[in-house]
Amino acid sequence: MTINARTTLTSFVVNGDPQEVSVTGAQTLLNVLREDLHLTGTKCGCNQGICGACTVLCDGMPIRACLALAMVVDGRDILTVEGGKTDPVLSVVQQAFVETGAVQCGFCTSGMIMSATALLMRKPSPDRQEIREELSGNLCRCTGYAKILDAVALAASRLPIQESAT
Amino acid sequence: MAEPVEFYEPRTIAEAVAVLASVPDACCLAGGQTLVAGMNMGPLFRPPALVSLQRIDELKGITQRPDGTVVVGAMVTHRTVAQSELFGGGLEVVREAAGCIAHPAIRTMGTIGGSICHADPAADYPAVLIATDATVVVTGPSGIREIPAAEFFVDFMTTSIEPDELVTAITFPPAPADAVSVYEKFTRASGDFATVSVALALSLRHGRCESVRIALGSCGPTPVRAAAAEQRLVQTSLDESDVQDAGRILCDAAAPMDDVRGTADYKLMLIPRLLGRTIQRAQERAVAWRVE
Repeated sequence: MTINARTTLTSFVVNGDPQEVSVTGAQTLLNVLREDLHLTGTKCGCNQGICGACTVLCDGMPIRACLALAMVVDGRDILTVEGGKTDPVLSVVQQAFVETGAVQCGFCTSGMIMSATALLMRKPSPDRQEIREELSGNLCRCTGYAKILDAVALAASRLPIQESAT
Repeated sequence: MAEPVEFYEPRTIAEAVAVLASVPDACCLAGGQTLVAGMNMGPLFRPPALVSLQRIDELKGITQRPDGTVVVGAMVTHRTVAQSELFGGGLEVVREAAGCIAHPAIRTMGTIGGSICHADPAADYPAVLIATDATVVVTGPSGIREIPAAEFFVDFMTTSIEPDELVTAITFPPAPADAVSVYEKFTRASGDFATVSVALALSLRHGRCESVRIALGSCGPTPVRAAAAEQRLVQTSLDESDVQDAGRILCDAAAPMDDVRGTADYKLMLIPRLLGRTIQRAQERAVAWRVE
């Protein structure tokens, strides 16, 4: 048991690279990604878990980086929007966003892409309603969402069709 | 920069209880989806010590006892509950409610234990625990106690557990074999807390109501249950007039507050309509269940 740890060395994998960072008990994963690892693709929107701009994948599942304390993700595998080189699904989603014109101001984009990636990892050929549900926790104030949904559908059409286990 | 917070990571329930008993103002960290949001708002909400329950494997499983009781560990996430096949029939309401808590990313980390200990009356689980007659299992320095859900939620964001006690599990008793259950939630937008919610468990025989439990969320400081409304429905065929009468009784028992999600008057208008919708869906489920 970790006792009385005001500062702890936390190690986790980010986009395939092992990282070791000294963190405090109240420090969030979002803060570590942006301030310590300088991975600023993950955005801080509301810092309250509402907007979805900080969505990253933790062991393949979407989480809010602003609501995950860094110490809690010790030992986990984190994928951020910078991980396109290491994750083929993420890369396909990113390319689809570019080609579809699904980006306007861009602030929500990395969260949208990560939520979409989480969906397509689990379910490579979702229907439109499943895409809407998976992205329901990501707010965009520019696009009206139509092109974002188009982009995810395009990415899905480019992925192999077999369904994964869950 | 934030004030330092002591961070404890016990591996067992016993270790966690020992920390809670010995560290003043220590606060349990479950999924953190409310607590960390509060901490992000500034020093007002920042406990001096956190006891993370993340590494306690004893708190993580869903099991079914031979008698059909489903036991859910306090650290089971909303995502896991929403996907579990152990919640059918009279307990389907549990799975249905878990699947509409906030958004997918929140459901990855948010837990049933954290949610009920926060005891926000607008949250989804409190009404569900009342409607399913669930029991909250708590461990403290003097041992284990089992608290009926109706005695667990005592006031607005207030439960009957002591600061040195830890919620370890929630037990859902088996429902009658022919029971169906439904969760209905009215929100301003997808993923929001409920303006009003209804959790209902119902047993029908030949179209007549054998038994029913109804709990309202977001209609007072704790989930609202009205025995008179349930009695009005038992041994009826749940006709429009029966449901309208029950809705009126529930409105009399409810004490909703004006808030950002709606005025009290608006919520009182929602209650009978949501009740009607909930009962209709339960009847449809009962029919579908018989056909299968």
